[in-house]
Amino acid sequence: MQCAEALRVQAYFDGEVDALAALDVERHAEHCPECRVLLEELTATRARMRSQLEFPGAPAQLRTSIQRLLDAETGAARRAAPRARFGWSGLPLWLGGFAAAGAALSAAVLLFLVAPAATGPLLDDLVSAHVRSLMPLHLTDVVSTDRHTVKPWFAGQADVSPVVADFADQGYRLVGGRADYFDHQRVAAVVYQHGAHIINVFAFASGRQPLPQYTSRSGYHIACWKLGNLQYCAISDTGWDELQALTRLLRAAGSADLPRQ
Amino acid sequence: MLPHLDAAYRFARWLAGAGAGSGDADDIVQDAFLRAFRAFDSLRGGDVKAWLFTIVRNCHATAVQQRQRRGAVPLAEEHLETMRPVVEDAATDPESVTAAAEERRTLARLVSALPEEHREVLLLREMEDMSYREIAQVTQVPIGTVMSRLARARATLRGKWLEQSAGEPRAVR
Ligand SMILES: [Zn+2]
Repeated sequence: MQCAEALRVQAYFDGEVDALAALDVERHAEHCPECRVLLEELTATRARMRSQLEFPGAPAQLRTSIQRLLDAETGAARRAAPRARFGWSGLPLWLGGFAAAGAALSAAVLLFLVAPAATGPLLDDLVSAHVRSLMPLHLTDVVSTDRHTVKPWFAGQADVSPVVADFADQGYRLVGGRADYFDHQRVAAVVYQHGAHIINVFAFASGRQPLPQYTSRSGYHIACWKLGNLQYCAISDTGWDELQALTRLLRAAGSADLPRQ
Repeated sequence: MLPHLDAAYRFARWLAGAGAGSGDADDIVQDAFLRAFRAFDSLRGGDVKAWLFTIVRNCHATAVQQRQRRGAVPLAEEHLETMRPVVEDAATDPESVTAAAEERRTLARLVSALPEEHREVLLLREMEDMSYREIAQVTQVPIGTVMSRLARARATLRGKWLEQSAGEPRAVR
């Protein structure tokens, strides 16, 4: 049986205790042979791992390909930036500014040095709403794969009337709709299923804080875009590619729906 | 300049299993850096390395899930079979197999054989020198769980090591 102090001794060994507690542990070890042995073992294991588990660094090829990938990302965002004038406020403004400073350098430096923009509590609301919806019986208020059933349903339930479409052929099955409430308004949530993943597409009146085009929170990916006077946010634990594919479909469907002026 | 790339790569190699093809780790790290880049506006100050490692770990989990869906996950035993140490001696000449190289291989194999949740905590602590708090952030468990997993990992590794040393005297051939 292990000494009850074992975890504390380990924490001491790992430098996780304050001076007072350290003194305490040292005093204990003086009288506890078991913990003295433990300290020796911890030291030996660490020494062995650190001297014998050497790993080569990242291959140069990987470094180059990541660099190129991030540069391409920077370039893509910069090319897309002019669209901001037309209401795509989700596009990160910082990219434009930094792209001017030299794309090759900026991608990598940005990743770690730039102070993050304030994303606000709205994204937290989105994540909570998504997580809440995944609880049993919370996913949908109206269950239908027929957009002609789901869309009219929102009319009485939410403050907005979002784009509703079924993309079963593309792998995104319309599951239904739900009315949510956050950011002081009733929000429409259209629910899609992709493989084993649920994707919530929230729609609410835009004109509040700008949202990042792509971001991640608590392990969920979030894509935001504006269409007409609505702000859309798709959130899921799918991969980025899967989420982006759905947002592309929805944008295309929404653009076709918009009244011509 | 990609800060933490070497560390992220090292972590990914160990997550993927020391014997897994290095291509797996490449994919995971590349995916992670791309995600990190896209998500970095959700990073508010804080610990960049832990943040990046969290993403690496998520990418690894995603890769594992995808492999499982494709039904390509090797059985545990086969997996162990393929666990080859990272430091390989290319030479087949028995003379070149030193006791030190043998020890390195043994240690790599034993670490690889630890349950993943134990292995990652141990590596983050010993190889990356992360604090309990950072490890808790990366592995998304409470600090108390980090502590108990760490203790288990160390005890298991220690035990297996002794077993190995007793059972197979590692004489220089
Ligand atoms: Zn004791």
